[in-house]
Amino acid sequence: MNYELNGDQAGILAGLDQLLAAHAEVASGEAENYFHGARLDAALAEAGFLDIDRIDGFGSLDAALVVERLARLPQVVEAGASALIAPLLPSEPGIRPLALVSGEANRPARFLPVAKQLLVLRDGDALLVSLDGSTIEPVESLMAYPYGKLSSLDGLTVQSLDNAADIRRRWRIALAAEAAGCMAAALEIVIEHVRTRQAFGRPLGAFQAIQHRLAMAEETAQSAKWLAFRAAWSDGEADAAIAAGFVQERIARFTYDLHQFSGAMGLTLEFPLHLWTYRLRALAGELGGASTQARAAAQAVWGAA
Amino acid sequence: MEFGWTPEQDAHRARIRDLLTDTLPADWEALSVHGPGSDYQTDYSREFCKLLADHGLLVPHWPVSQGGEDMPVWHQFILGEEMWAAGEPRGAQYMNVNWVGPVLMKYGTPEQIDRYLAPVRAGEAIWCQGFSEPSAGSDLAALRTAAVPVEGGYRVSGAKIWTSYAGKADTCFLLARVPASEGGAAGKGGIVILLTDMRSSGIQVKQIPALVGEGDIHEVFFDEVFVPVENRLGAEGQAWEIINFALANERTGIARYEFSRRILDRAVIKLKDEGRWADPVVQDRAARALMLCEAARMLVYRVVDAKAHGSPPDAYPSVARWAVVQADNGVNDFLTEFLPDGLLGGDPVQQAHHQRAIAAGVASGAAEIQLNLIARRWLELPGETRR
Repeated sequence: MNYELNGDQAGILAGLDQLLAAHAEVASGEAENYFHGARLDAALAEAGFLDIDRIDGFGSLDAALVVERLARLPQVVEAGASALIAPLLPSEPGIRPLALVSGEANRPARFLPVAKQLLVLRDGDALLVSLDGSTIEPVESLMAYPYGKLSSLDGLTVQSLDNAADIRRRWRIALAAEAAGCMAAALEIVIEHVRTRQAFGRPLGAFQAIQHRLAMAEETAQSAKWLAFRAAWSDGEADAAIAAGFVQERIARFTYDLHQFSGAMGLTLEFPLHLWTYRLRALAGELGGASTQARAAAQAVWGAA
Repeated sequence: MEFGWTPEQDAHRARIRDLLTDTLPADWEALSVHGPGSDYQTDYSREFCKLLADHGLLVPHWPVSQGGEDMPVWHQFILGEEMWAAGEPRGAQYMNVNWVGPVLMKYGTPEQIDRYLAPVRAGEAIWCQGFSEPSAGSDLAALRTAAVPVEGGYRVSGAKIWTSYAGKADTCFLLARVPASEGGAAGKGGIVILLTDMRSSGIQVKQIPALVGEGDIHEVFFDEVFVPVENRLGAEGQAWEIINFALANERTGIARYEFSRRILDRAVIKLKDEGRWADPVVQDRAARALMLCEAARMLVYRVVDAKAHGSPPDAYPSVARWAVVQADNGVNDFLTEFLPDGLLGGDPVQQAHHQRAIAAGVASGAAEIQLNLIARRWLELPGETRR
């Protein structure tokens, strides 16, 4: 048991921070629901940060550390699927971004408009779809990811995969790590807001009603983070379902409170809170939502009926 | 970063489990229902703690010079985790080894260390903590029990309330205030800690009938009780520092979520036996309680890990405590809804858990105080008012 980064992990994150410093700028100009960090995405891929799980001596925890760190950025990049799920796939590294969808292949999928491959997770199997020659219909939404829908699988190269359970487990870990990073970033800007925004002659953050709910939000963010990292370390069914289910269950309350304390500013695209809360709200419904993860956790820990 | 146990830690845990299996009476679960302050459990703790001492498992984390083995922090914690999972057969004595001993080692005089640590090491001492008062609970600094300086010591008058184990305790870790009229400083600076013999003349203990178990909470009245000056711990004015050290040790030492997790595991076995486990709603709700236990575990481990690394104290234990309270109550809520007969005479262990869960957010100071501490000291939000 050791909650501190080892030398390799500290080195990875220091290197990542160095790269991120060079890509710190967020597209300015018109307010958007999200900012896709295309240049950053390419730099991350080139530097190998998204392939860390494939390198001898490194593993899924190191990948989750990268995913969590990247999720704190205002710009969005596809990291979770590439870093944690792609190593399970038969395709060569570097064919990315990787979009994910569960159920039907033509449901809205995160990152599909920028993806090279689509992974369709179904009940008993998965399909890996090469998107060369595909027609992607963009999906307009409040969510802070690029979403798109595949019009048809016709004419596309589709591989059937039988490791759906492994993919689902890694998806849960990626989701948990990404949500934990989003929570940390969202909380940070709201804490800064309530420290400085004055009402009734004092900072909002001096009101106990707000302090208590932010303290509870911090417990949520901390729990989400450590559950995600433990799940990434063990790569186990129960830990993965617990981590994803916990954070999905908490997202509604967490995002509600953070928007509430941001007032009307929190409803604007100018105030950056939505860049993380609308990632969280997107993640809340993935893989069937908290209840699906909860039942999976129950069965992993205690067995089926 | 990694979340596994070393072979030595696994072996330590296995050794404790074996000892518990070999030692606890067959009807331990039924007997422990009345709580750690009950006559049965207090008497049993004297027997059990002696046995732990014989096996080197009572104070293994203490320094060798004080009869311990300098065992690492994680070994101490694993011991506490296993004891909580088993319903805490150390009874009131968990307190002695977790914080009374360490506090005395840090702040006690050589004479106090000699006098008080020997019975703790032997598993023979029962302590109670005289902190809360009718008008000073979570707001501990408001305490009013008076310690009037007299020749050779103090005369203590006042009342304490909610005092666990007072009916059985040999010694009270008593907080009192030197009145301003007697030269005491205002606020926290006027508090003194008096290690008070509970057999002293002028002490009256009254058990408070309560929902939380037999013998668990009391009122303690002090009427001109003489406490010799050599029983004062630390200097006048140093008490608040000592209390904070004690509370930091107390709050990190209790793996309450492990008892909740054990009760949840038992509940699932029962639900399976009753043919109800196939219900997805039951699975969903059980797992949501499980998630709370595991979240609490991860945050408490984070606190222990910081201690193991020698990090300076911070407000993170408050974050962990909030999670622990959620876990205790989440499991209790699940059981109350899905296994109600357990609280209607059907399951003494469930009842014992219920009684601990309803106190989880109150014992050791209201959980809302922890939220204040998280806000101020961890999130660094501005203060609402200043005292």
